[in-house]
Amino acid sequence: MIGQGLQIALESLWANKMRSFLSMLGIVIGVGAVIAIVSVGTGSTQQVTSRIADLGSNMITINPSMPRGQWGQIRDVSHSRQKFTLELAEYLELFCPSVRSVIPVKQITGRLISDEVNINATVIGTRVDYAEVNNYEIAQGVFISAEDDRERRPVIVLGYQLAVDLFNNDYPIGKVIKFNYNGRIFSFTVTGVMKEKGGSMAGNLDERAYIPVSVAMDRLTTHKYVDSFIAQAYSSERAISAVKEIEYFLIKYLEDENREQFRIISQDEILDTVSSVTNTMSMMLGGIAAISLLVGGIGIMNIMLVSVTERTREIGIRKALGAKNKNILIQFLMESLSLSSLGGLVGIGFGWVAAYFLSQYGNWPFLISSISIILAFGFALFIGIFFGLYPAMKAAKMNPVDALRYE
Amino acid sequence: MSKVIKAIDLKKIYHLGKVKVEALRGVSFEVEEGEFVSIMGPSGSGKSTLMHIIGCLDYPSGGKYFLTNQDVTKLDDNQLALFRNRKIGFVFQQFNLLPRATNLRNVEIPLIYAGMATRDRLKISLKALQDVGLNHRAHHRPNEISGGERQRVAIARALVNNPSIILADEPTGNLDSKTGQEIMKIFQSLNQRGNTIILVTHEPEIARYARRIIHLRDGLINKDEVVV
Repeated sequence: MIGQGLQIALESLWANKMRSFLSMLGIVIGVGAVIAIVSVGTGSTQQVTSRIADLGSNMITINPSMPRGQWGQIRDVSHSRQKFTLELAEYLELFCPSVRSVIPVKQITGRLISDEVNINATVIGTRVDYAEVNNYEIAQGVFISAEDDRERRPVIVLGYQLAVDLFNNDYPIGKVIKFNYNGRIFSFTVTGVMKEKGGSMAGNLDERAYIPVSVAMDRLTTHKYVDSFIAQAYSSERAISAVKEIEYFLIKYLEDENREQFRIISQDEILDTVSSVTNTMSMMLGGIAAISLLVGGIGIMNIMLVSVTERTREIGIRKALGAKNKNILIQFLMESLSLSSLGGLVGIGFGWVAAYFLSQYGNWPFLISSISIILAFGFALFIGIFFGLYPAMKAAKMNPVDALRYE
Repeated sequence: MSKVIKAIDLKKIYHLGKVKVEALRGVSFEVEEGEFVSIMGPSGSGKSTLMHIIGCLDYPSGGKYFLTNQDVTKLDDNQLALFRNRKIGFVFQQFNLLPRATNLRNVEIPLIYAGMATRDRLKISLKALQDVGLNHRAHHRPNEISGGERQRVAIARALVNNPSIILADEPTGNLDSKTGQEIMKIFQSLNQRGNTIILVTHEPEIARYARRIIHLRDGLINKDEVVV
């Protein structure tokens, strides 16, 4: 009975091609949108997540709080900032068992001068581990060594873009460049150039240069404090306990019960934020897509109701020739079900193609989850049954005498 | 001969708002197998109502109706549909063919609802079309053929499930008189082959093709005469 119902339904849909196509359109767009949006959501999330992972593994950034003023006055340097000394880095390494190393970061902005060019640049005073923690690889020469730091050697490692800007196509290793900071000029020997890394959450690394932290603190400035620390946990599993240990130690050390003087940013935290943002986005867009599916379903019901009224006479004829109420119900239910399932299939193809082109455009991995396909298609079928049931029941319940008289 | 139809005191009352319309006020008659009966009467005489009841499309408000010795008034909707499918072949004034289906497909419909396999269905339907001389039009649609041909397709459809009675409601009403005569000749030859035919009409000259005429007036049988 279902077989013949389906056959009759398909014949009738084929006979009204244009109307069938138009009523399918809502489902096509709805299913396509769901599939494309879910694909874009997972693809872009994966892209962002892998970029964050590229920033460095198990990385925890510790910053002093920004100087906070009151009543329009700004205190020049906050209390805690002055306590971010190299000793504090050693203490953290000593007292936090989950922390493998703590790398000081001192940022200095000045002007780098080669023979022909001079550029404003941020120079970072740090230690040998910095490159490793940041997953940052050297392209030519070597990174700052522990010896460079101990001996306070005036060596500099250039970011990719900086090397291109300063030396064009010349081989930069061994060249001497000058650094103008606060009106004083220092000479540095270039020992290395980093690989291209591009923009990241921390800004464009390619436009920075790296020098030993001892040089930055003792020669360029007379500061006793650095700008931030990068702590590295022994493993990503221990990152959370590392954060807790650092927090506990800093509260004691800075006598800062309210945690006002420092900020700890872990990679997990960034990932959490990113995934919660992308989840919210996906939910929202998915909701919009689901609404369009619903509207598509209402469209199908609309068409089916019109179709039932328009074919009242046909229903009367069929009943006179022996169709039971069940036959008529199944015929119309099969029509709406065929519409929605065909719409669902076309929508899957449509969403697939759309997701592919969007992934090419946005440069993220092209991912189609089978769950989203099953879910969208299942929802389309459900809509076909749900919104087809009322018109089909209306058709089935018609009185044959009245239906035959209908003009 | 066995009785195909036995109607006892059939009544039908319609409630149109507060007005009560008595379409049938107690109609009793019998039809034997192989008869050709016309039910004739002016409009409003209740002949359409009677046809709906005989055709198992509607229930009477009172009385009993036996079709092939079974009490139709006791059947539910589904059983009624089954009766229409197995025992009755309809021919309507407006032909009532499905416009988008081919003639062959139209003829197949009763067999589809009878649950017959496709191959048998096609064979029997083509045979029925051949019987009315239209097998060359099997794959045309109703709007591609003439009115007379359409009515012949409808007759083929009425015959296809080998019913106990063929019920024709003003079958010549939408046809010119010459074509109407042709259609009536078909009914006559079907009757000669042994089919029981009940014809509902208001035209005396059409009614006279039958061998018996039941005159209906104001919901009652006025006269039941044999045509000589």
